[in-house]
This record gives sequence, structure tokens and C-alpha cells, in this order.
Amino acid sequence: MKILLIAESREGKLLGGTYELAAFAAKMNAESVMFLVGDDTVLPKYAGKLYLADGKAAGEYNPDVHKQLVLDVIAKENPDMVALCHSSYGWDLAPRIAYALKAAQISEVVGVVDGVPVVPVCNSKLRRDVKAKTVKSVVTLQAGAFGLADEPSGTPEVEKIAVAGAGRVQFTGYEQAAAGGVDLGKAQVIVSAGRGIGKPENVAMIAALAKALGGEYGASRPVVDSEWVEHNRQVGTTGQTVTPKLYIACGISGAIQHLAGMKKSEFIVAINTDRDAPIGDVADVLVVADLKQFVPLFTEKIQSL
Amino acid sequence: MEFTREIYWNVGHGAWTLVPMYLLAAIAIGLLVRGFLQRVTVYKQGLPLNRTDQLGRRIGLMLENMLLQKKVTRVPWPGLLHGLFFWGFALLFIGTTLIVIQADFTDLLFNIKFLKGTFYKLFSIVLDLAGLVCIVMLGGLLVRRYFFAPEGLETKKDDAIMHGLMLTILVTGFIIEGARMAVTELGTPLAMWSPGGLVVAKVLVGIGIGKGGLLLLHKLTWWFHLLLVMGFFIIIPLTKFRHIFTTSSNYLFSDLGPKGKLVNLDLENEASETFGATTIKEMTWKDIFDADACTLCKRCQDRCPAFATGKPLSPMKVINQLGEVAFTNPEANLIEIIGKDVLWSCTTCRACQEICPAAIEHVGKIIELRRSMVLMEGEFPGEEVMTAMEATEVNGNPLGIGYAERGDWAEGLGIKPLADDAEVDVLFFVGCYGSFDKRNIAVAKSFVKLCQAAGVKIGILGKEEKCCGEPMRKMGNEYLYQSLAVENIEQIKAYGVKKIVTTCPHCYNTLAKDYRDLGLEIPVEIYTVFLEQLIATGKLKIDTADLSCTYHDSCYLGRHNDIYEAGRNLIAAAGGKLVEMDKNRDEAFCCSAGGGRILAEEKIGERINIKRVKMAAETGASTLISNCPFCLTMFEDGVKGAGVEERLRPKDIAEVLAERIH
Amino acid sequence: MKILVCIKQVPDMESKFKIDAGGTWYAKTDLAWRMNEYDEYAVEQAVQLKEQVKDADLTVLCIGSDQVKETMKKALAMGCDRGAHIADSNASGKEPFEIAGIIAEYAKDKNFDLIFTGMQSQDRGSGQVGVLVAEMLGLPSVSTVVHFAYTGGTVQVKRELEGGIKACVTVQAPVVITCQLGMNTPRYPTLPNIMKAKKKELLTIPVADLLKVAARQETAKMYFPEKKGGGLVLEGDIAELADKLIKILKEKTAVLA
Repeated sequence: MKILLIAESREGKLLGGTYELAAFAAKMNAESVMFLVGDDTVLPKYAGKLYLADGKAAGEYNPDVHKQLVLDVIAKENPDMVALCHSSYGWDLAPRIAYALKAAQISEVVGVVDGVPVVPVCNSKLRRDVKAKTVKSVVTLQAGAFGLADEPSGTPEVEKIAVAGAGRVQFTGYEQAAAGGVDLGKAQVIVSAGRGIGKPENVAMIAALAKALGGEYGASRPVVDSEWVEHNRQVGTTGQTVTPKLYIACGISGAIQHLAGMKKSEFIVAINTDRDAPIGDVADVLVVADLKQFVPLFTEKIQSL
Repeated sequence: MEFTREIYWNVGHGAWTLVPMYLLAAIAIGLLVRGFLQRVTVYKQGLPLNRTDQLGRRIGLMLENMLLQKKVTRVPWPGLLHGLFFWGFALLFIGTTLIVIQADFTDLLFNIKFLKGTFYKLFSIVLDLAGLVCIVMLGGLLVRRYFFAPEGLETKKDDAIMHGLMLTILVTGFIIEGARMAVTELGTPLAMWSPGGLVVAKVLVGIGIGKGGLLLLHKLTWWFHLLLVMGFFIIIPLTKFRHIFTTSSNYLFSDLGPKGKLVNLDLENEASETFGATTIKEMTWKDIFDADACTLCKRCQDRCPAFATGKPLSPMKVINQLGEVAFTNPEANLIEIIGKDVLWSCTTCRACQEICPAAIEHVGKIIELRRSMVLMEGEFPGEEVMTAMEATEVNGNPLGIGYAERGDWAEGLGIKPLADDAEVDVLFFVGCYGSFDKRNIAVAKSFVKLCQAAGVKIGILGKEEKCCGEPMRKMGNEYLYQSLAVENIEQIKAYGVKKIVTTCPHCYNTLAKDYRDLGLEIPVEIYTVFLEQLIATGKLKIDTADLSCTYHDSCYLGRHNDIYEAGRNLIAAAGGKLVEMDKNRDEAFCCSAGGGRILAEEKIGERINIKRVKMAAETGASTLISNCPFCLTMFEDGVKGAGVEERLRPKDIAEVLAERIH
Repeated sequence: MKILVCIKQVPDMESKFKIDAGGTWYAKTDLAWRMNEYDEYAVEQAVQLKEQVKDADLTVLCIGSDQVKETMKKALAMGCDRGAHIADSNASGKEPFEIAGIIAEYAKDKNFDLIFTGMQSQDRGSGQVGVLVAEMLGLPSVSTVVHFAYTGGTVQVKRELEGGIKACVTVQAPVVITCQLGMNTPRYPTLPNIMKAKKKELLTIPVADLLKVAARQETAKMYFPEKKGGGLVLEGDIAELADKLIKILKEKTAVLA
């Protein structure tokens, strides 16, 4: 089996998903080649053939041109499968390639069981095994689902490919995320403080853990009411409803308004001294501990990972 | 000697007195009537509303409140001052009328005099004392207003005119009396029947005014006094004096109930293009009239939980803004003028309406304006409220939890959904919080336990129950409320339910009052009353055990339904030692969650729930007993926010009883 | 101007899901239904565009049984002019390629200037349909759009990328736009508009008339994932607890990977 891996780079940086593609190929025991729009400075560690199209000529977002470049590589390599990250780049490009190849596209693959891709349904509440009915297939991989096989290594054998045509969509530049403003709705990780943190000084401890996990910190209503944390960080039906990948509730017993505002999170950890607190009903993991001791230690361990 | 006096003494009873006097009176009364007729045209800008049915009851209500000053005296000091002033003023008015009747009618036409003998003595002393009382009371009110003004009391030009005019009329009255007595009564036994006048007479003589001076003083003051009274008539419709008529008639036009029931919007009417009110013309005449009945006593504002916690709402201000718009700018957009934050701040706790001595209906107006924002603009106080509305549309509860899980809490308790067994004594309408919130599920379970201990077979609707629609309705979303209500009523009727009991005052108020308009007729009871009866009839036996507690009257059991004692009786039955908060019963302070505010973030000012919890903590009691899932939820947050979670536990009365089942 | 917005009726994600008898999809019992969240943004954007250009005709399209008409009525109440209901009792069995094929077949001779779809559906979540429709119609498409502006045939959009960065893109209509959450604030329909929506045209077209393509994939099996932590309760020494938690997060979430 041969898989064409569609790597990603943006603004002179290789995106992390690239190595997950390699891990996927390894997991599939497949031969692989890689395709990247970028330049020499962002080459991945990859022991294989890499088709490199010039990012300046192709543009970092130019679906028509990128599609054609991929199709050119496919014409040369004739892979059985094209794998992309399930990212804003991957899910935009994948259907275009699949359509051109008359191939099935299987989106957001989280695993492969007996050669059959598994995808989530309904916010990961369910799973589905999906079989392609076409010879070739295109897959997009959920971020983090395949990990990084081993420490990536190797130097790719680069073949530069020429960019032709202009495409109908014109990319005009990036707009950086606004600094300062908190948007819990977009955070991948949220660490929230409840009254169990005891005193306002302990908010810093929660914020530190959030930072270590690359996320934001939030709070329950009583904490906001006590003005320990500003309003725009309140999680709950009377604040913001959030759905991060990881939600850590620290010292939150779990009033209904709070639960309704965070229970859709993909993975929920509760840190609480009371093992019967309602938060335990929605938590995937309940850590029964004094958070004032546990959180700093846990943060330290995360930082040293 | 004959105990009487010569009416029109000194000023004369001829045409030179009577013609100008009656001419003036005719002009003054004419202007008074004209002034009110002009105002009536403004009232008529509003939509029609029938407030003249059951006239006997209405008149009774008006007389009761006018003559006994019942509502006014609910606030002791200013109430007492006003009440006594009212009575003094009324007596002076009656007295003056008697004089006019005798002098210009009975005596003039039939030679009949009745102001003589013992009746005259009585007449004389009563009027004299009434005048004194009026001066003292008015003086008291004046000192309060101008020297010790309580916070929030607005003093305008009207107040200066009113106090000044009243005081001058009263004082000139005594000068007239004193001057007359100095000439005719000093040294006679009649003088002691006018003690106030006697003092003035002695002073006048004492400062050395001779008879000629006294006669001149009397005559001049008499005419001046007359002019002032005529002036008073003229400015009644133009100043707050109008409350003499408008406030009393506002009792006549009272809402006869059921208490606080909102007007059901006809959503089927294809002809209506607007819903709720944006302009004054979309409100009723009574909404405008209310503004004219307002005396700016600010009692509503003093009790408003939103105002007390730094939110922009003052019920008094809203009422007066409506009036101002009606009189000066009737096309204006009320929502813009009053302000959206103001309208969203109301918790519909009814404290304003309950205390209002002018029988003004505040809450309905705010809801009417909210209806326009929601139904016409799709606007809410925040996105979280819109989310809750959408969640309710989809899953029948504002928490957005899957509807199929609604009955899960009751698993293993030995009660079934009616779909499985409809042969029950009562339907327990659980409500959203009792069904989904772990804290309130504990309350629902306690209630089930109590019913089972009393041998009452209850059933639930389970996943066929939907939110009663109360928070949505109070937020102005009449459409969603009615669709929920219709579905609930259909289910309840389909199972032939005989009686409904709820543990939520919001459900109770809605099912027992609002659903009547949509066809639900079976009896609905609140659990406190239901349990009280079970205990009274011996079906439910409760052991007593020590409990130091305070009790919070939820707005929707208390002010909205006048149920104050049931909860207290249950606490007594449980052996609780109840320490009342300062603000209790109909003066209870809201928990913040009414009026659909349970769905909204409290963005402005202090937290209402924390303020209430602090009041509870001040009693020193260790348990804060509530009777409402919204209150309980707010207090659970509130004890944390107030930092008293170690020493004050919120509990529902059902939980207290369930712990003590015999 | 002619605008098409494609919506899907999905179960509320809070519902209690069960697997159906066939074992390849969720059972339809005990579910609460609603408009796919992403599509709400699409409808709102389409209505805003219609309001902006004034002279526009906005069609909302939805594939499914009669039950989906309820959701279509919400779109009509939000401001769509007419509805195209593609009657299909087995819409949930159709894979993205078939769905896109149906939509493209419906749209092919109607000269829509703009087609809006949600970026993905909440249940199937393939994120393919919008882009596939564009490919089938030979139109350009931009996915994952969080900001949209239209001026005289030119469309300026911002795509949401990872890490809160946005890519600014310009494209000429006709174009297909797939809408990401947060693109706008979907309006709450007003009562007069709910009433008007009841009288708007809602044309039903049998799916057989439009389905011209064959499925390219199939669901072999649907099942519940292993419980992530399964309500795991950790107690004991805090240092050990921290290590255990890190291990669990590595295994069960993508956050520490």
C-alpha cells in the first residue's frame, strides 16, 4: 500500500500534524511519499520522498492550485490513499482531491481497526467503521489520534515541482488572533476554578495550569460573583457554554448551570475533595484530592514533560 | 346664648360677596374639570381595557383604601402623617361644604340652620382640631422632605407648591377664625370649642390690633384664603395634587385578579402585526393612568431588588417615564427611552406592586415591553438567554439536557410516568430543576418520600413533561410559553389527571393561573400547602428535631400567591426554631432568579442572591429554608459568594420534613 | 441575486443516543431534532446578504423526511424566501458524496450566485458536502468561513485556521461558502416572521429525481466508543495521582500528545 501524505506549513513553519501523517503511514505499514507546499526552510524530518511546491508561487491558501499540484504528484506516484490532517487546510483540500480522483473520502479518522477507518459521529458520542467502495481513498486524520510514532528522523529526498496556474481564490494574508481578549469558546483546554480554590490568590495557580496545558482558565459563577475572576471567564449557562477537548474543573461542585455549560467538553477531569459532588457525574476522571496541593504539583509535572 | 356663628360674618352675604365668590368657584371648578378632561384624552391614547366590571367590589376597594388609608399607612411614619392629614383635610372639606350648604342653600332658600347648638360645638371643635392636625402633619411631612429627606426621595417644584399652598390655606384659615373670634367670641363660652382659633385670637389681641384692624385683617384674609382655595382647585390636575382623584380612582380600576396573571396574547390572530408594546399607544389606558396615580413616594424603588443592587431599574421611574411619554411624546419608542437594561433587570418579584399605595401595576408593563423586544426583534438580555430559549424549543428545558432523560431521576423510587400507570391520586409536576439538577432532584426525591409515607400515590409525566414556560413567558417569549403550555396541557388532559402538585412556585403560579387561559381546569396545589394538609389530617407524621433556621418566602409563593404561613407551619411541625429575616413575608427580598432572570447572567451591580444570603446569615440561623428550586439554586451559589457556606446551609422545606418522617 | 442555503436537521447532541437495528446508524427514537448548528450560521449569513443586496431570492434546501420541514420553517422564519424540500426517507443513510450530488443536481441549472452550507454537520461531521457541491458545479469554494463580506460580485471572507489565526481570501461570485461557528449571531425569529413563514412556498421534490450518483463509501458498523475515563475515581498520594492523570490524558486526549 502506498500513501501520499499531504504535509502542511504556514508562515514559514511546518505544522505539527505533518508528523502525525507519518505516524499514520507507519501504523498502516504502508509505503509513503510526502507532498508539501512550502520551502527548503520548513522541511520535515522524513525518510522518504518529498514533493515540494514553492509556497510563494502557490500561495499558502490556494485550493485550485494545491489540488492540481497534488493531482500531478498522484499522476506520478499512483498512491492507493491520500492522507491529510483533519485541519482547516486538510478538510478544505481533501474533498477536491477525492472528487477529482473519483475516490471516497473518509473524514476525521481516529483509528484503523483491521484496515477499516474509524470515525467519530455526533461529537464523539458514537463511532463508525467506514469502508471505501472505491479503489483509491482520501482520508483526513483527527489531530492527535495517531500520535507521533517515534522521534521523527531522516532527511527527505526532495523533488521540487513546478507551480502552474493562478486559481480562482485569492489569498490576501493572515489576520493574527486578537491579543488580550479571552474567548473560552475557542479554547482547546479550559481549567476552571470553583469556590473550592478557597481564596482569590489561588486563581494564579489555576491560570498557571491552564497556561502549562496551552489553554485558558475559566471559573464558576460563585467565583465570578466574588470578583476573583472577571466576567468573561464565567463558564455555565449564565456565562459561556464551552466544548474544549479537555476541561479541568478545580474545586467546582457542579451546580446545574455550570454543568450545562461544560458537559459537552470532550474530556472532563474534576479535582475535588468531595467524591459525591455532582461534577463527578459528568467527569471522565475524578481526582479526589486537595487541589491546593495537587494543582501546583500537577502543573510542575506537565511543564517538565 | 345660642351656640352658632354668623356665616359670612364681616365679609357680608350680599351679591358683592356671593357673585364674585361663586364666579370664582365656577371658574376654578371649570378649570379643574377641563384639566382632567385634557388628561383623559391622553389616557385614551392607550388601548381599551375593561376595568369597570364588578363595580360594587371596585367601589368597596376604593373606599377601603381611600378612607382607611390602608396601603399608605403600611410605611409607618410618613404613612401616619399622610393618613392623619388626609383625615383632617377630609373633615375640613366636609365642614366647609356644610357651611356652604347652610348659608347658600338651606338658610337662603328655606330658612333652615343646622350649624347651631351642640352640633355647632362639635362642628367647631372638630374642624378646629382637624386644622391643627393638618398643620402638624403637613409640617412633619415638610420637615421630612426638606430637612431629613430619605435617600431616593425626589423633590420637585410641585412639592414646594403643594406644601406651600396647603400650609398657607391652613394658616390663613386660622387667622380668619382668630380674627373673627377676637371680635365676636373672646370671653364667651363658645370660644373654648375652637382652641386653635382661640390661641390665634388671643395673639391678635395681645399684639394690640384693634377692632378695626381685626375686621380688615379678617376680610382681607378671607378673600385671600378663598383665592388660594380656588387656586388649589385649578392646580389639582396640573400638579401631584391630582393624586387626590387619580390615586383613589386607581383603586377603582384595580386588577381584580387572579393576582399578577399576565394578559394572554392572542397569537392566532392573523390580523395582529405587532405583539407586546413599543409605543404608548400599544399599552392600555390604564398603563398611562397609573403614571398619573403615582405620587413618587418611591416605596417601590426602596423594595426593588434590582434597584437595591445597583441595577438601572427603578419601578417608579419606569412608571413616570411612561406617563411623560404619553403626555409629551406619544410616538416615542418606549424601549429606547426606558432602556433595555432597565427592562431586563426586573425579576418580577412584585415587591413594587405589593407595596404601592397607588395600586399601580408595574410588572405587567415591563413584560409587555419585553414581549415587544423578544417577539418583534428577537432580542434577549444576552446570548445565554437566547441559547436557553433554543434549548427549550429543542428539548423542553432551558438547560438543554436531552428531553428523554427528564424522568430518569425517579428511577427506583417506586413512582412511574403516567404513560405506564395513570391511576394516581396526584400528578407531581416536577419542573426542570427538580428533574435535571442534582441539588433539586434531592428535593423532588424528598417530596416523593413524604407522599409515599402519607400513602399518597403520585405519578409524573417523565419525558412527556416540558418546562412550564414560566421563565420564557416572563422574559417576554409568549410564543414559546404558549407552545410549551399547550403541549403540557394536552398531556395532562390525556391522562385524566385529577389534581396536580408541584414543588416549584413558578410552575405552580403558571399552572394554577396562566394555564387557565389555555384550558387547564383541574386543581393545582403547591407542595407546602399539600404537605400541611397531609400533616393536619394525620396522614403524614413528622417527628420534631432541633433546627435553627430562617425562612425565605419565594416571590411566587409569597407576593404572587399570598402563601406565607404553610411553610412556617411545616417548620413548626418539624420542630424548627425559626428566626425571621428583617425582610420577610410580603416584604421578602428576591433571590434574583425570577422573571426569567434564572436564564440570564447578572451583569450589572451587586449580586442579588448574595445580598439575600447575607440577610439570612445575619439571623444567626444555620439553615436557610426555601420553597423554590430557583431560590435554592441561587442560595447554593449565594452562600459561596457571601463566604458563609460553612455556617449557613440552604435547604428545601421538603428535605427538612423528609429527614423527620415518623 | 439568487442565493441557496443548504441545511440539515440533526439530533440535539444532548440526546440519549442508541444504535438502530441495522447497526449502522443511531436509532431515531427519543431524539430531539434541531437545525445543524453550523447551518444556522449559514442561514443567518444568507439572510444578511439578502438584506444587504435587497433584490435577492433566497432558497433553503433540506434533504430528509417530512419531519425536516419543521427545521426548514425555522430557516424560513429567519428570512429565507422559499424552501426546497428533497423528500428522502433514508437521508441519514446517504453518504456525503450522494448528498452533495443531490444538491448539485438541484442547483445546476438555477444559476445561484451564492451557495452557503454549514462547514460540517454535527452528527456525521464529514465536512465534505459544501466543497463537493462546488466541485460538482465547477464553482470555487471557501470552507470554514468566520467572516463574510459582499460587494458587487466580489466576496471577501476570512477562514478560521488553527490557533485563532484567520486567512483573508477574495473570490468572485458565484461561489460556495461553508460556514464555521461564530461567523455571526444567528437571529431569533420574530413572531411576525414565524407567522409569515407558515405561508411561504415549500416545494417538495422526490429524492429520486435528483439522486444521480452512487455512494462511494459505506458504514460497516456503528457503536459506542469505549468509555474515555469511564467516571474513573482516583484517590491516594497526590504525586501518584498526578502521574496517573498525565498518563490518562496522554491516552485519552490529544492535548498532551
